[in-house]
Amino acid sequence: MNKILEIVLLAIGVAAIVVISYWLGQQAYSWMPPAATAEARHVDDLFSFLVALGVFVFLTVIGTIVYSIITCRTTKNDYTEGHPARGNGKLEFLWTAIPTVLVLWIAYQSYSIYQQLDIEGLGTIMDSSASLASQPALATTVIQPTSQPIEEIEVLAKQWVWTFRYPQKKIATGELHLPKNRRVRLVFQSEDVIHGFYVPEFRFKQDIIPNHTLDFTFTPLREGKYKLHDSQFSGTYFALMEADVYVDSPEAYSQWLKSTNGNTMKLNLAAAEHAQKPQQLIKSNWHAVEPYLPLVATEVKSKN
Amino acid sequence: MTINPNITSVSNSEVRQELNWKRYFSFNTDHKVIGIQYLVTTFIFFLIGGVLSMIVRGELITPKSDLVDRTLYNGLFTLHGTVMIFLWIIPSQVGLANYLIPLMIGAKDMAFPKLNAIAFWIIPFGGIFLLSSFLLPSGTAQAGWWSYPPVSIQNPSGYPINGETIWLLSIILLGISSIMGGVNFVTTIVRMRAPGMTAFRMPIFVWTVLSAQLLQLFCLPVLTGAAIMLFFDLSFGTNFFKPALGGDPVLYQHLFWFYSHPAVYVMVLPAFGVFSEIIPAFTRNPLFGYRSVAVASLGITVVSIFVWVHHMFASGTPSWMRILFMFSTMLVGVPTGIKVFAWTATIWKSKLHLDTPMLFALGGVIMFVIGGITGIMLGAVAFDLHVNNTYFVVGHFHYIVYNTITMAIFAAIYFWFPKMTGRMCHEGWGKIHFWLTFIGANLTFFPMLPLGLQGMVRRVSSYDPQYAGYNILASLGAFLLGMATLPFIANIVASWLNGARAANNPWHATGLEWTTASPPPLENFAKIPTVTLAPYSYGQPQYSTVDTSDEEALRRHGN
Amino acid sequence: MESSLDKSRSHQVYLETGGKREQDKSNVLFGFTVFLLSESMVFVSFFLTYTILRLTTINWLPPGVSGPELSTPIIINTVVLLSSSVVIYLAERALKRHNLWLFRVLWLTTSAMGAYFLAGTLREWRSLDFGLLTGLVGATFYLLTGFHGLHVSAGIFLQMLMLVRSFVPGNYNRGHYGVTAISLFWHFVDVIWVILFSLLYLWRA
Ligand code: HEA
Ligand code: HEA
Ligand code: CUA
Ligand SMILES: [Cu+2]
Repeated sequence: MNKILEIVLLAIGVAAIVVISYWLGQQAYSWMPPAATAEARHVDDLFSFLVALGVFVFLTVIGTIVYSIITCRTTKNDYTEGHPARGNGKLEFLWTAIPTVLVLWIAYQSYSIYQQLDIEGLGTIMDSSASLASQPALATTVIQPTSQPIEEIEVLAKQWVWTFRYPQKKIATGELHLPKNRRVRLVFQSEDVIHGFYVPEFRFKQDIIPNHTLDFTFTPLREGKYKLHDSQFSGTYFALMEADVYVDSPEAYSQWLKSTNGNTMKLNLAAAEHAQKPQQLIKSNWHAVEPYLPLVATEVKSKN
Repeated sequence: MTINPNITSVSNSEVRQELNWKRYFSFNTDHKVIGIQYLVTTFIFFLIGGVLSMIVRGELITPKSDLVDRTLYNGLFTLHGTVMIFLWIIPSQVGLANYLIPLMIGAKDMAFPKLNAIAFWIIPFGGIFLLSSFLLPSGTAQAGWWSYPPVSIQNPSGYPINGETIWLLSIILLGISSIMGGVNFVTTIVRMRAPGMTAFRMPIFVWTVLSAQLLQLFCLPVLTGAAIMLFFDLSFGTNFFKPALGGDPVLYQHLFWFYSHPAVYVMVLPAFGVFSEIIPAFTRNPLFGYRSVAVASLGITVVSIFVWVHHMFASGTPSWMRILFMFSTMLVGVPTGIKVFAWTATIWKSKLHLDTPMLFALGGVIMFVIGGITGIMLGAVAFDLHVNNTYFVVGHFHYIVYNTITMAIFAAIYFWFPKMTGRMCHEGWGKIHFWLTFIGANLTFFPMLPLGLQGMVRRVSSYDPQYAGYNILASLGAFLLGMATLPFIANIVASWLNGARAANNPWHATGLEWTTASPPPLENFAKIPTVTLAPYSYGQPQYSTVDTSDEEALRRHGN
Repeated sequence: MESSLDKSRSHQVYLETGGKREQDKSNVLFGFTVFLLSESMVFVSFFLTYTILRLTTINWLPPGVSGPELSTPIIINTVVLLSSSVVIYLAERALKRHNLWLFRVLWLTTSAMGAYFLAGTLREWRSLDFGLLTGLVGATFYLLTGFHGLHVSAGIFLQMLMLVRSFVPGNYNRGHYGVTAISLFWHFVDVIWVILFSLLYLWRA
């Protein structure tokens, strides 16, 4: 009788854990910022899967521990043995095998989702001196979903400003505009230290390493205004290295390309703060690297 | 593991030397003195690192940068991370091991007592040296605890001696101390075990310390090498890592993480050992699957050498490397899982006692599972590229470094305090400490996970107001966590001065350390014991029946 | 697992000799070996850095720099250092046979050979057409040879220490673990040199 009750309880417990895990896995989509690229959806699927599995493992282990804490308490001076088992070959094999299978499953899922992304950071490392025009097309196995040409934009990072160059239009700006539903390739370059390109709604991140040109291809799907933040610590004003990112409808995008004259540099936050007296309560007056001055846009143009 | 009954009761009064507090301030070579020196010194560094983090949390309670200026903020988190890792987590567990290993394997001391003392004294000097950079006009190192070039070598012109120089020299210095420790521990464990103490009779703590120290010996020199080269770049103008001059900054990252990833297992393995000692003692069960837990320690050691690239998924790492290291990273979950399941099975159907050490151990295990699972999530490349360098990572590792390892150290101190001092800790205060810590820790570090998912990057002193809510929660939690330390300090100080006298084996635990006096005499055992039993033999009558002297002690500490 | 019998036997020895010293000293050798294995990882990190940088740098040799050249003095230097390993081995054997004077002579010869090697390195440094700051060639070259030279110097210093000790009456009666350890160190320094030599001089672009 007791045995049966135990089994029933166990079954109910496992069922509850499965349901909760599944449910939280579904909830997980809403814990992320809105998904603004085609790639982001895959990442969210992966995240949902990871959450579901993670919650399942967590609840199984913690459930057992909490159950034991509730039911196994003994009196102060009872030092007799609980259970004499020193181990159980079968059980130990099982709990080595099951996690192995689980982690391989997770790894496989991650792998296949990774394959669906065009994340090919280092696919084309090249010498930065090589001109962009003479570059071969991406050597890697990127599948082109549309026959549309890829929109190529250069992203330039330096302490602590972002500059975006649209090579075919020969303009440089301080805000990034992207066409919706078109494949975009960003080509990253840094002038001083390592920076990182990160827009949370895009779900990817790429370090920008001086003297290594790296690129990344993706497809924005959702119109709106987003914030780009530097994601690799780059010194004193790291927190201020941001830029606005717009995903525009194709019409609005070409409209913008036409109307912009390359002088739409945003206020350079780092330079602005550096010029001021520190506003904070506690001032160390330690040395800070000088930020680049706001005139980046013209600087870049003249170089070309 | 028990010992020949006629030598269990060491006549301690004759052997015990004069217990003079002054010896803790001297160049003493007794491993027990050194162990306590380590623990106290590193705990002071923990408080310092904690105060730094309090200022960090103070700054982050509002979105604007309004408490400390940018350079100072960068210095604060850099030194917070460095102090906590190199002066708290790693050396405090070295201290614990120093105290316990010779006792646990039935040796009179460590293999090289003098070397041991030298290794210890490097710690306070290295630490003070590191912290002294706060006084420099150019300030402390400000490039994070990774010290990635080229940011770290943007040498403030005109300051030949700067925070980064001091940072690098301290790291090299503390590394030398760790290598000395590693040599000492490995020699002690391999060569100084008492008769009958075979490998599979060693307590798990010994296994984990051995594994951790082997990792130190193998990987730490690579960090030293990297630090030397970075130092050359910084001070002599070479260009190993300077991209502008042909050097390779990513190479530094590889060298750094080749050590610093295994370092996280150096930190966590002894904590696993602590859990494996405490959980059987308070469940009255032998450790379930002892052998596989022991072997899993070595398994973790081996696998963890080959996973370091998971810190560099966004560093322009080629795809094949990302995939390869994703698989290896996830494999670490298997030997780690073996341990977690073994603890769980030990608790299952047990005779559970919830004394303070056990509370901390259980809390630590529970929060470790959260830390571990978030770690596995980070290992998934595509997901990591979203949360890399965000607060999700910060949340992940604080769940381990604070919520698991620091909890384990607290557990260990409560558990072995009677052995170390001959006095009992106050249970009530211990429980208050536990609950404040447990609640505070979750309040501080859980909100960091959603923050990271939402995209808040780390190492910023100002942030978008959309992140304010969780940050306020985390900051308030952190202040609570800071306060939670106070009952602990009060408890330790008061109990050390006039706590109830402890019996030799107040917890009725197995293990050689409990067979000698509390505190143990010089050279530990009147006669080197002979080991005849498997470890964690809680079914043996000498552990499962209570003798009267222990009863007395237990009554006094109000159990 | 591993010989528990052995373990208790060595313990028996420990108890019977009544002295800690005996065991301590044999631990020294074990510990020192562990240390050397660990120390070799510093060299591994330097070797890897050198190899990777050399493989990935386009202009490894800046204009006008020919890099370290294999020349007769370097070959002689190498031969001297490597044969000193044989000499130190003979010294050790002499000590085992309690031939103290032969030991001292051979021991001193080893040090002299080491010193000759160091002098040769310095001579080479001065004759080179590049310095520490000459690109990655210079940085890696001086780091590797410098760090190795430091180890040779340390070896000579330790040898001197042992030589002085050999004049303490009865110092080697209870074994000579210090000498064994230093000789081990010396072989280690030699092996490192072989790798270094291949990387720097034999690997032609
Ligand atoms: C001591 C501490 C410690 C420990 C033990 C771990 C353990 C793990 N860590 Fe963590 N980690 C850190 C400290 C630690 N980490 C630190 C300090 C950083 C950041 C450094 C910095 O950037 O400043 C970091 C960063 C970090 C990253 C980089 C993130 C980034 O920067 O983008 C990754 C990525 O893979 C990672 C993964 C893991 C994994 C897979 C484990 C695994 O070992 C966890 C294994 C445990 C479990 C999985 C739980 C128990 C197992 C079971 C119950 C079995 C069943 C489980 C499954 C089937 C899933 N960690
Ligand atoms: C290894 C161990 C370790 C430990 C134990 C901790 C403990 C804590 N850490 Fe730490 N942390 C790191 C290692 C650790 N950390 C590392 C490696 C980094 C990365 C650094 C980098 O990016 O380079 C980091 C980064 C880090 C950040 C991110 C900073 C940033 O990226 O901008 C934050 C932010 O909240 C933080 C907070 C805390 C808090 C609140 C604690 C608390 O748990 C501390 C609690 C302890 C105390 C508070 C001490 C008690 C003090 C007193 C009793 C005095 C009373 C004083 C007051 C209450 C004011 N840590
Ligand atoms: Cu800008 Cu990192
Ligand atoms: Cu890691």
